[in-house]
Amino acid sequence: MGLEIDNLWRIEIFGHEFWITETIVNTWFIMLFLIIVAIIARIKLRKFKEVPSGFQNAIEAVIEIFENFVKSTVGEKLSYIAPWFFMVFMLLLWSALFSIFGLRPPTADWATTFAMAFVSLVLMFYMGFKHRKGDYLKEFFEPHYIFFPMNLIGELAKPVSLSFRLFGNMLSGTIIITLYYALTPMLVQVGIPSILHAFFDVIIGALQTYIFVILSLMYVKTAAE
Amino acid sequence: MQDPLAFVIAIAHIAAAIALLNGITTTFGQAKIASQALESMARQPEAADSIRTTMFVGLALSETSGIYGLLIAIIMLFANPLVTILLNYLG
Repeated sequence: MGLEIDNLWRIEIFGHEFWITETIVNTWFIMLFLIIVAIIARIKLRKFKEVPSGFQNAIEAVIEIFENFVKSTVGEKLSYIAPWFFMVFMLLLWSALFSIFGLRPPTADWATTFAMAFVSLVLMFYMGFKHRKGDYLKEFFEPHYIFFPMNLIGELAKPVSLSFRLFGNMLSGTIIITLYYALTPMLVQVGIPSILHAFFDVIIGALQTYIFVILSLMYVKTAAE
Repeated sequence: MQDPLAFVIAIAHIAAAIALLNGITTTFGQAKIASQALESMARQPEAADSIRTTMFVGLALSETSGIYGLLIAIIMLFANPLVTILLNYLG
């Protein structure tokens, strides 16, 4: 783990150079893990019973808690966007937990967090058009059409602040843990860093993931209502 | 001034330190949010859940300025554009 994002190898497609960085490879690992869990859940879904137990119990509890959370935030009418945000929540949470294994978390790269926040912006525009049509466009020209550039900048600043918040938190944790590993002798590098990992990865990571999801849901709600 | 590069790097480090000073005001704002939320939770324990959710969102929103300062400090230290411009200028 270091401060720089390492470039593992480069490929050329039609004359353009693409860099396969550490972030991309770590994201692939997380995607592989989540896809395997999803496939196992899908296979076990056929054998699900009326009265849940064991694995089924855990899956149903997680899904139900998240659906209730989305319903209490955006209301009954818009709660059909819950599966998308469940995916975002799981991906960001496992990205934060990934650095427990001593690897660089993908969210400590601005590209990952900005991609997620940009999708939230697109979803916000789409939900606004879908649910309010012309009213949503009219809101950009309130209270007067001179204010259109300011309103537009205000909307476009949302994904930037959303992504910088998550990125800054994860990067600061990464820097502090890297400094600890670099500056201390080998003797104290076993066991004691687990406190740092517990605070900066588990607590801060889970809290910032929750905040990312709830702020995205609030942006979608204000656009669609 | 013997070495312009050393001067620019020293100024960049001082600028990074100044950018981190906004942690003072950010912490005061967050402390106010937390104390107000605690007070309302003590007054109305039945509304504690919704107050907690709002408190976390408010804490995150007021944390944004602190994070901006941190990112500016990191850019000043590790990816400073001025040093690159100066190196190009000096040749």
